[in-house]
Amino acid sequence: MKMSKLTSEDAKSKTDEKYRHIYVIIEHFEGRVVPVSLEMLGEARRLMDDFNQKYDSAEKVVALVLGSNVRSLCEELVNYGADSVVYANHDELKYPRNDIDTRIIVQIAKDTQLIKEISPEYLNTFARPRYMFFAADNIGRHLSSTVLAELESGLASDINKLVISDLDIRHEHKTKGKTVRYEKILEMYRPDFSGFLWTTILCLDNKNPEILREYHPQGCSIIPGAFKPIDRDSSRKGTVIEYSPEGYQRSKIKILNRKVVEKTIDYDTSKVIVSFGRGIKDNPEQNIRLIEDFAETLGAAIGITLPLSKKPYQLSQTLDSKYMIPDRVIGTSGSKVAPSLYVAIGLSGAVQHVAGMKESDIVISVNTDENSPIIDESDIFIKGKLEEVVPLLTEQLKKQIQAISIRSN
Amino acid sequence: MLHVAVIIKLEPDFSEGNVSYNSDGTLNRAETKNILGPHSAVACNAAFYCKVRYGAQVSVGTMGPPIAESALKQAQILSDAEELNLYSDRMFAGADTLATAEVLKNGIEKMFGGNKIDIVFSGHRASDGETGQTGPQTAWKLGYTFLGNVIDFEIDLERKVVFAKRVISLQGMDTIIEEIESPLPVFITIDPSYRSIFNTVSQRLAANNFRKEASKRIEDTGQYLKILDGKKLELDPKLVGLPGSPTIVYRVEKIPRAKTNRKAEIVDPSNVNNLAPVIEKLIQISRGK
Ligand SMILES: Cc1cc2nc3c(=O)[nH]c(=O)nc-3n(C[C@H](O)[C@H](O)[C@H](O)COP(=O)(O)OP(=O)(O)OC[C@H]3O[C@@H](n4cnc5c(N)ncnc54)[C@H](O)[C@@H]3O)c2cc1C
Ligand SMILES: Nc1ncnc2c1ncn2[C@@H]1O[C@H](COP(=O)(O)O)[C@@H](O)[C@H]1O
Repeated sequence: MKMSKLTSEDAKSKTDEKYRHIYVIIEHFEGRVVPVSLEMLGEARRLMDDFNQKYDSAEKVVALVLGSNVRSLCEELVNYGADSVVYANHDELKYPRNDIDTRIIVQIAKDTQLIKEISPEYLNTFARPRYMFFAADNIGRHLSSTVLAELESGLASDINKLVISDLDIRHEHKTKGKTVRYEKILEMYRPDFSGFLWTTILCLDNKNPEILREYHPQGCSIIPGAFKPIDRDSSRKGTVIEYSPEGYQRSKIKILNRKVVEKTIDYDTSKVIVSFGRGIKDNPEQNIRLIEDFAETLGAAIGITLPLSKKPYQLSQTLDSKYMIPDRVIGTSGSKVAPSLYVAIGLSGAVQHVAGMKESDIVISVNTDENSPIIDESDIFIKGKLEEVVPLLTEQLKKQIQAISIRSN
Repeated sequence: MLHVAVIIKLEPDFSEGNVSYNSDGTLNRAETKNILGPHSAVACNAAFYCKVRYGAQVSVGTMGPPIAESALKQAQILSDAEELNLYSDRMFAGADTLATAEVLKNGIEKMFGGNKIDIVFSGHRASDGETGQTGPQTAWKLGYTFLGNVIDFEIDLERKVVFAKRVISLQGMDTIIEEIESPLPVFITIDPSYRSIFNTVSQRLAANNFRKEASKRIEDTGQYLKILDGKKLELDPKLVGLPGSPTIVYRVEKIPRAKTNRKAEIVDPSNVNNLAPVIEKLIQISRGK
């Protein structure tokens, strides 16, 4: 028998070939796909279209969905960009539960037989997904953590931009200080809390000869609202595959009761929203009162930026518990709104905030600093201190309203 | 006896007035002081609740440099912990969440002389912008049932189960409060909205006594503090620090401004007349015309 020695070049491409596809973990709720899941599919589709051109035309976008009665969601996932949909259907899977969901997703990710139905050409080589996407929300954040812990690979959270590229990496440990080319690497961008910095995270195999180790899949959780779904296309074709997990272990978590909490604030019906941010800092108590008065005159709902929900100021109990609460946060960590009018007072317009309000019809902002990014999202930018501008607006408004009501009497 | 663990983190103090920003708006890490992270503090409160209600013993652990001892002290004040553990070793440096979880797992397994821990608490996420991954990854490595977003819990000591309420809020969907039950041991990531409430007089008395005890204990932290390195934790060097971290930070840059659809008209409010068109617009829209 002739044994040909693998050159290092072969070895390299060989490892790469074990990892295929983008697996997207779909979330659904009461029979509806959560929007972020379609957004992830959209981004996966765009990335994979490029990937197919650049590297390999046979790799796919694979959607994974667990639940009971989820078969009916599968076509929709194809319409929104999936090439294959793998679904597991069982009463035990009706609601998300971390322990059982993790085990089944890991099983699917490692299933080398299933690949026959997804892409038979990889049957003998497939080991695991190349990339995995989860939602950065109450479910996906934790699920991504446990799945990647079990798969012993890397995960970046709260991502809002993704690029696949070949990179020359020099790292004290990963490459032992040498420059090494990594192929098909997912550049995962995450905005930091300040909203000013973008950090790119990579999940890389250890190519240091002393500690060789492969880290795949490259995983991330994606901020809801960060990406756009593709246009729904009911003529798209895809395969739908039922998955029956080996031995349905039961979850240790028993769900006793589920109830909907009434939202204390409902932005969906608000025509006008007035939001404020850290610009109130010089005299928070008084400034909130000014904004309250202004909003009331306009008949507007009141929103805040995320930092204010962390109770950064000493305030009276009533103001604090009324306004500085997570329910009022506008942006990726809170509500996404689209009123006829959005008034942004003393807030800078960080990307995460803007993601929640940019669909508003008209935006008016009050800010001392013309360089605050909110100016780019504003139709009218009133440059001045809110302490002065807001009472002026309220006063003028009241005058006008009075004039109108006199006229109409 | 119920054994409870809390894993905590020393973090930059993001509260108002304590954050220092560079001129370009980025966080100045050198100038910003470090404290016990606010989410870690909530986890300590949950452990303290277990002490008051169920007579639990509490052990606190953190992976970090020697200065992280200050966070352990703050955690002891909040939780009246019997044991403080600092997992510190050069070889832990550069750890991502997976490599951090590896250290914490071994640390938790060695608490109270290897006595099995019934409940581990962690914070929801480190100060804003962190990942929230460390807790669930530690839980998975420990083989504990993971319960996230928990806003309230009770324990049935006899049946050895925990009842918890957790909040599930998904994009564009109704917020759900779920009541769940799970056998011990469990790993709980506690939601920032959690508040421990002591209803009865005896609970409040007990809480006061434990608080007094805690303030005495921190006068002599040394007696409670254990410092463990990689060897004592019996860690495989390949699984911690840089070698055990799949991810790296490749690049940090300023977020470029997005292309805009709007062109702002800038209004100078020092002349009230300039505001007239704004007022008109406000009235038009708010009255739906
Ligand atoms: C994963 C993640 C998710 C996030 N999600 C959200 C989210 O959903 N929503 C959200 O809002 N943030 C979110 N953030 C935080 C976001 O990045 C910003 O930090 C935050 O929005 C900034 O809040 P701000 O505008 O109130 O404060 P700052 O950025 O401090 O801005 C204050 C503004 O007030 C102006 N100002 C100061 N004094 C005055 C005055 N006297 N009169 C008028 N103007 C004045 C200043 O010029 C400045 O523009 C998130 C961050 C991360 C990492
Ligand atoms: N180095 C660490 N040592 C102990 N606990 C940690 C550490 N890092 C994170 N944690 C815990 O995990 C929670 C979430 O942190 P993070 O995953 O970094 O957002 C924190 O609130 C802590 O409870």
